[in-house]
Amino acid sequence: MKKVVTIFTVLAMIINITACGPKTEQRFESSFLELFDTVTTIVGYAPDEKTFTDYSQLIYNRLEEYHQLYDIYNDYDGVNNIKTINDNAGIKPVKVNQKIIDLLEFSIQMDQMTNDNVNVAFGAVLSIWHDYRTKGIDDPISAKLPSMNELQGMVKHTDISKVKIDKEASTVYLEDPLMRLDVGAIAKGYATEMTAKYIEEQGFTNGMISVGGNVRTIGTKFDEAGTKPWSVGIQNPDQESAQTTVHILQLEDMSLVTSGVYERYYTVDGKRYHHIIDPETLMPSELFQSVSIVCKDSGMADALSTSIFNMTLEEGKNLIESLEDTEAFWILNDGTYEYSSGFEAYIRK
Amino acid sequence: MMEPMNIVRVLKHISGSSGCKMLKRNDVIMTGIVLLIALVSLGFFFLNKKEGSAVVITVNGKIYQQIELEQNNTIKIEQENGDYNEVVIQDGYVWMTDADCPDKLCVKHNKIHYNHETIVCLPHKVVVEIIGGEENTVDIIAK
Repeated sequence: MKKVVTIFTVLAMIINITACGPKTEQRFESSFLELFDTVTTIVGYAPDEKTFTDYSQLIYNRLEEYHQLYDIYNDYDGVNNIKTINDNAGIKPVKVNQKIIDLLEFSIQMDQMTNDNVNVAFGAVLSIWHDYRTKGIDDPISAKLPSMNELQGMVKHTDISKVKIDKEASTVYLEDPLMRLDVGAIAKGYATEMTAKYIEEQGFTNGMISVGGNVRTIGTKFDEAGTKPWSVGIQNPDQESAQTTVHILQLEDMSLVTSGVYERYYTVDGKRYHHIIDPETLMPSELFQSVSIVCKDSGMADALSTSIFNMTLEEGKNLIESLEDTEAFWILNDGTYEYSSGFEAYIRK
Repeated sequence: MMEPMNIVRVLKHISGSSGCKMLKRNDVIMTGIVLLIALVSLGFFFLNKKEGSAVVITVNGKIYQQIELEQNNTIKIEQENGDYNEVVIQDGYVWMTDADCPDKLCVKHNKIHYNHETIVCLPHKVVVEIIGGEENTVDIIAK
């Protein structure tokens, strides 16, 4: 199924790169709303609008493939996706695309690295929260919290070792019939990373892809002075504020992902309940307003931002300091900022 | 803002002098030249403003309305199925004041002001974008 999409392309400005002789590159921007239930924005440099539009279409096509494969709510004709695996839990192994196996293996690796704080087999619990949140958003007056009984009843169906991957046969099987995969904390970042690598190979070497605020930079940008790192802002959790960002980072070939309480939430009896669920308390984690991660791999940044959100500041700092080229920034509930040792070097002065 | 002040000054000069004596030929020529320069630059000023900074509203990828950023305004975006969003433009800033979408994320979004900043209402497929505004010092925002 080939789908033609409207991609708005905007010519932002024209820049001469004097460093490379008479070559002229222009800055363009495009965006679309169709994938991952969010806004995807592409910014980058190309010799002309057509070249940029072609890159945007390639990015769209690749992201769309990931979007369909990693979807847990919808079926697509002729596609076995994560939902198909869930639908066949306890029934039979499902033959899947290699991109699903790669994601699940990466996810298991991330879960081990973060001491079981980003478990893709946690879907049985997360789906309860998802249902209550969706109902609560649609009908705020009768919004309710799930009962602890209900949540605890599902915890025993979240053992990630029961996700059986057969690489030879390209199948995935959930041994526990009540187990559900939920790749929401990792799939968007992973797909962004894979797509960024792919498009860079196609020659798009100065750009940036943001899938719903999961930002992956490719190379540098240009201005009158020559090449320059991308300036990526970090969302202010206080959206009432006139100040949209709390910091601006300078990034080159790096990813920045922020997880925050303001992203997706619903309100019960005047209290906000956001979507990042602590695997221990089974409730929304209440330690921070947001956690931002900078590292090369956007999939890892996505997984870390969620898992660090669920850890204490000390646990999180210990983990970040043990990882190479990985930095974190916390905004505590009282508005205090905390940084890992190398984070502040990225902040634009 | 220099141009309108020029005009006021020139006009005052004419009325002040016409009361007691005839205008000299050179005065008229000079006034004409000054007026012409003022009008031309005023024209450029407005032309640039119109092209330079606009609020573009798209629904489902199609342009719904394009309005000036510099003019205070309230726009109600109404779709055939009854969905609506209300956008306010004031003093060069744009924000969503109301919408009947379930999550209201668009209403909670910060005010936008800079070139290429957007507010998106995903459920209604509404995008409000600033075109040609003041250049932002940020390329994108992680959230």
